[in-house]
Amino acid sequence: MACFNRASPALMEVLLNFHNDEIPWDIDHHLVEFGSVKYHIQATTLDPRNLYLSVSIPPLSPEVMLSNGLPNCILQDIKRVYSDIVEVVRPSKEGFMVTIKLDFNKLPRHKDECIKALKDVSSLQSVILCSQFKDMLWNIGSQDISRGLHQPIKQVCHFREPFFLIRMPEKITIVFPIRLKEESDVVLATAFFQELVDVGYSASCAKAPPCTWSPIPPPELRGEYLQYLNTNGGFVSFDIFSCHVKGVRMEKTLWILLNFYSYLNYYLKSTKACIQRKMRNRQEGLVKVLQKARIEEDEDNKQIQGPKSGRKLISFPKYKSFRRKCSAFARHVKRIRSPIKIKALNRFRRKWLKFPKCSSFKKYTKLE
Amino acid sequence: MANPLRSYLTCIRNTLEAAMCLQNFPCQEVERHNKPEVELKTCPELLLNPVLICRNEAEKCLIETSINSLRISIKVKQSDELENILTKKFLRFLSMRAEAFQVLRRKPVQFLPTLHGSKRHCLAHEGYDISFLITNYHCEDMHKHKLIDFIVQFMEDIDKEITELKISVNTRGRLVATEFLKQFI
Repeated sequence: MACFNRASPALMEVLLNFHNDEIPWDIDHHLVEFGSVKYHIQATTLDPRNLYLSVSIPPLSPEVMLSNGLPNCILQDIKRVYSDIVEVVRPSKEGFMVTIKLDFNKLPRHKDECIKALKDVSSLQSVILCSQFKDMLWNIGSQDISRGLHQPIKQVCHFREPFFLIRMPEKITIVFPIRLKEESDVVLATAFFQELVDVGYSASCAKAPPCTWSPIPPPELRGEYLQYLNTNGGFVSFDIFSCHVKGVRMEKTLWILLNFYSYLNYYLKSTKACIQRKMRNRQEGLVKVLQKARIEEDEDNKQIQGPKSGRKLISFPKYKSFRRKCSAFARHVKRIRSPIKIKALNRFRRKWLKFPKCSSFKKYTKLE
Repeated sequence: MANPLRSYLTCIRNTLEAAMCLQNFPCQEVERHNKPEVELKTCPELLLNPVLICRNEAEKCLIETSINSLRISIKVKQSDELENILTKKFLRFLSMRAEAFQVLRRKPVQFLPTLHGSKRHCLAHEGYDISFLITNYHCEDMHKHKLIDFIVQFMEDIDKEITELKISVNTRGRLVATEFLKQFI
C-alpha cells in the first residue's frame, strides 16, 4: 500500500462530489487502487439519496479464501463502525467481497461532521484489512498453539511483499522479509533498520513493540520455502504483546504494521530525494568556483572598475608629496617676493620650482 | 581542514603547479589533428612520468602529464557500505553533469600504474572514482592557479559532502525510526 491515510482519496472525492451536487445523476464508477483494491460505486437518479459501494480486496492470507464474501465477524465490524449511515447488502455484488448501501439522508447536517463521516466511509478498505488481520491474530493457528507448535502464517498485504505472523503463547511475532530492487536502497534500508533497533531500546520508545533486525532468517521461519527466505535486506521482526493490542490501540497497531512496507518505501524515496537535493547544491557551488577561474570573467571585472585602476597606476605617493611641497614653497616665494625683480631669483624659480617629469621618478634598472 | 588531509592536498597542489605547464602541440601522426596526448599516448617522448600520491590504501590521486594535457584521477575514501553508495551516487551525479565543469572526464580512469611504468587494467573497485582532463586550451581560458584551486577544493568538498551526507542519512533514519515507533505509543 502506498498510502498511509486510511481513507482512499479517490473514493472520498467521488463521494463528496455526489453529496455536493444538488441535481441527482447516475454514477457507475470502477476504481482500482494499489493494483489490487477494487471499488465499484453505483447510484441512480431513481434512488438519488442512496449510493452502493462494493469493495474487493485480496485476502491477507492465501490460506483463507474469501470466495463466499467476507466472514461474519468482519461484516459485524463494518456494521459496528458505520452503524448509522451504512447498511450491508447481502448478497454482495458479483466479484466483490462486500457491498454497502450509503444513505445520504442519514449523514450529519453539519458540514465538517458530514465530511468526517464520508471520510470514514472512504476508509472501508482499511477497516476490512484490520478486521481480517485481527481475525487471523486470534483464530488462525490456535490448534497448533494448543499442540505446542508455532507455525508461521504467511500474510500478503501487497502482492510482492509478504510477511509472516508467528503466534506464541505470550506474544505474536511479525517478521517482514525485506526485498529491495536497488543496491543503494538496501544500504539505506539497513542503516534505517539499525537506527530502528537502537531507538527501540531507548527510554522514549520503551512502550513500543520491541524491534529486531537480522540479515539471516529468524529461527521461527525454519522450514519455509526458500523463495520467501531469500532476501537482500534481511528480516525485521516486531514482537507484539497484549499491551500493544489492548482496546483502541489494536486497530492503530495493526494499521501501522500493515503499512510497514509502505513506510519503508516512502522513507527510501524521500531520503534519496534529500540526497539528490544536497548533491545539486554542492554541484552549483563547485561550478561557481570553476567559473571564477575563467580569464574572461576576470577581464569583465576589470572593465567595470577600469578608470579607477587607471588612475591608480600613475599615482605615486612620493611624487604627490613633492609636488605639494613645491607648490607651497612657490606660494611662499610669491608672497615674500619684492616688487623689484631680481634676475637671479627668476633663474632660481625656473631651475628649482619647475615640476619634475613623471618619468624621472620611475626607477628602472636596465636589464642586461 | 584536518592536518593529514592538508598535507595530502598540499602535495597534490604542488605537484599540479609543477605539472601544469602545457602548450599547444599538434598531433605528430595525423595532420591537422590536435588531441590530448595524455589520452592518446601516441608518442612516448611527449609524456612525462605519472605521479601517484597516496594518502592511504583507499585514498590516492594519479597525475599524468603530457606536453599538451594533464589528467588527474582521484580515488575517494569509502570506509563502509553507506559511504561507498554515497560516493558512487555523488560522483555519478557529477560525471553526468560533466559539461558544466568542462575539465571533468565523463568516465574515470580504470587502471593503476605499476612500478615499471606499464599500466595494469584493474577491477572496477580498484580503479579511480573520478578523473579530470585539463588541456592547454583550458589553461589559456582559465587562470592556472585558480584551476589548481578548483581541483583542490573539489577534493576537499567531496570529502566534506560524503561525511555530511552520511551524518544526514543517519540522523534522518533516527528521526524517522523514532516517529515510526512513537505511533504505537
